[in-house]
Amino acid sequence: MRKSALVGWLLLAPSLVLLGGLVVFPVLYNIWLSLFDKHAFMPVQAFVGLKHYRYFASDPEFWTSFYYGSVYAGVTMVLQLGVGVPAALLLNEGFRGRNLLRGVVLFPYMIPTIVAVILWKWLLNDSYGLVNHMLMSAGLVRTPVAWLGPDYIMASLIVTSVWQFFPFVVVTYLARLQTIPPELYEAATVDGASAWRRFVHVTLPQTASVLFVIVLLRSIWMFTKFDTVWLMAGDGGVSRYIRTLPVYAYARSFTYLQAGMGAALAVIMFAMLLAATAVYFRLFRSEEVFS
Amino acid sequence: MKHTPAPTSRVSRRRFLAGTGAAIGAAALGRAPAAIGQQVREIQVWHTEVEPQTVKIIQDTSIAEFERKFPGFKVRQQALGWGDLNTKLLASLSAGSPPDLTHLNPFMTASLYTKGLLRPMDELIRALGENDIHEATRKLQYFDGKYYGVTHAMGATYFCERRDLREKKGLKTPETYDDMLKLAAALTEDGRYAFQMPGEKLYMGFVHPAEWMASNGGSWVDAKTWRPQLNSKSMLETLDYLQKLNKFQSQGWSGQKYLDTQAALATGKISMSYLSGARAIGYIEKYAPEGMRDPEHFMPMLRPRGPSGKVGISALDGENWAVFSQSKYPNESFEFLRIFYKKENYIQYCHSVPIHLSPIFKSMLGDPAYLANERIKKWKAWHDVMMTGLSKNSFLPLGFSRPEDNLLPFLAELDGSSIVADMVVEVMVGGKNPKAEADRAQKRSEELLTQLGHKRWS
Repeated sequence: MRKSALVGWLLLAPSLVLLGGLVVFPVLYNIWLSLFDKHAFMPVQAFVGLKHYRYFASDPEFWTSFYYGSVYAGVTMVLQLGVGVPAALLLNEGFRGRNLLRGVVLFPYMIPTIVAVILWKWLLNDSYGLVNHMLMSAGLVRTPVAWLGPDYIMASLIVTSVWQFFPFVVVTYLARLQTIPPELYEAATVDGASAWRRFVHVTLPQTASVLFVIVLLRSIWMFTKFDTVWLMAGDGGVSRYIRTLPVYAYARSFTYLQAGMGAALAVIMFAMLLAATAVYFRLFRSEEVFS
Repeated sequence: MKHTPAPTSRVSRRRFLAGTGAAIGAAALGRAPAAIGQQVREIQVWHTEVEPQTVKIIQDTSIAEFERKFPGFKVRQQALGWGDLNTKLLASLSAGSPPDLTHLNPFMTASLYTKGLLRPMDELIRALGENDIHEATRKLQYFDGKYYGVTHAMGATYFCERRDLREKKGLKTPETYDDMLKLAAALTEDGRYAFQMPGEKLYMGFVHPAEWMASNGGSWVDAKTWRPQLNSKSMLETLDYLQKLNKFQSQGWSGQKYLDTQAALATGKISMSYLSGARAIGYIEKYAPEGMRDPEHFMPMLRPRGPSGKVGISALDGENWAVFSQSKYPNESFEFLRIFYKKENYIQYCHSVPIHLSPIFKSMLGDPAYLANERIKKWKAWHDVMMTGLSKNSFLPLGFSRPEDNLLPFLAELDGSSIVADMVVEVMVGGKNPKAEADRAQKRSEELLTQLGHKRWS
């Protein structure tokens, strides 16, 4: 018994080492770093305890970034579901060209983020973008709309993100749809249920578990998204209007050159997500288990 | 019939292996002179001139001559985007492996000097001719009686205007903020805006604010106490001016970049690009309509002054060479610079991007050999604008609000912080109250300098 346990531990060891080195150690090191006033590159540091956390509690920039991050994560998550679920339902039906369409739908998710963002920035550019050209040709607007200006940059970011990430929802939801026994739908049809009632009383309960996971994962990933937001506005003037917490943490570490403060922001985000996940599980877990 | 096997070469396995091993060893030795006792030492040189023709010129002239003169040394140049320089340099310093020789932004040099990271180069400066170096750049890296850097080349920045459009309106080049507002109003018509500012934080949040303060009697910080001056009279007047000026540019400007403004100018969407250097000539010659690719249509224009200023100030682009204390080959790095600045090499370097890379030596600025370049001959008016600006002290290095800013050790952090960029965007684009935003920026900058340990005021 002891020998088999030892063998088990030895087999687990490489994974544990990787997990420890790539996950546990960076998290612990980050927490340790957040207790110091540390320059990002120079060998200058001093222990300050919880000073950074107290600072951010009353920092207007922190709360503005939290607000933008919450709006971005919330709206993109809802829209990804709003587009992805109907798309999956459609792709679950049989029609000519379905397989081709299933492949095409995956395209936005497969391309690198930088390509997706550059593509959308070209489309939305107010001087030479295709979107303004089409709107003006159709007579819907008289002057170019500044899609990448302060008024619309958040909307543009959300559109770009939804376009890029809704295929994840499609693929995941479609996979679950395909395992629903068709007899359930046949029984509902025999009972006279309309398409909507079949969706509400058959499809939704059957897919509740996967929706639970999709909402959880997409929310976390959109809240912590850095690359799309950074590439959309960089650290240019307009970035002010989409500066989410990950971008603010990056800025504190690598442009303000205050690594300790950046680390504190990362710890705060980690704690926020942990708390939100705990609340989410508490609210919906019983339903998830039930389904 | 007896089968006679075909003749085979009979090489034993031992011989085959010995032969193969000898061949591999010879190939390795051929590639590695170190194997026979002569080590090749590599000098790492980082710079910000990424244009392919400039990289080639450096390779074919300075590096080739250096490697001939110092066998056993190889020079490896790396061209970095200007925006990447600071981050990569700091990361390399942190890792303990900085380049031997590098470009530095002048606003960073003081920060590195105060941390003891730079080597003095007085001997080199004397060898180059201390008094021949133009005053605009000579003492930018002069700390505690010693030189710690030398500018690689000077390039003025300014507006680039459609001169023909302005002259059609009968207007002269603006000297004051009010003149500029009148000009901008006159040039905004028929779907074309008067100008466009680049949206990158580095420009609208650091380079231009420094110019505005310098042009309006202001400065980043108080000279003695280092207290930020972001809500000073100078800044408030400027913010008021910018809020009025904003309606004469595309409303999406804050989401666009410097190169977008050059393209917009060349293709007639705007009458002036707010930030231009002689590099704009390349865009003009490529994209402007035929028949307009000349100084009669496109000309530089220096900045106006504010109501509290005496002279309009434009930024002078010019990174300085510096050798780190941690450099493995400091003497060789200085020797490389002597070769770099040799007249025949240096003129070719400057000619690789004519006018934008202007020589730092007063004797060369008017030298017929330098002026004989075809592009300089065609666009001589641009060279003359720079010479006029230099003679009137209309230039300060990028990010400087006054000459003494070279001593401030926190400009890189201020640049990186977005404090000023946020203020400018909120006022210009957000239409917010200038005083409220300036007070907010003042508070944030005081906090930042305190966090960095630079608080000297009470």
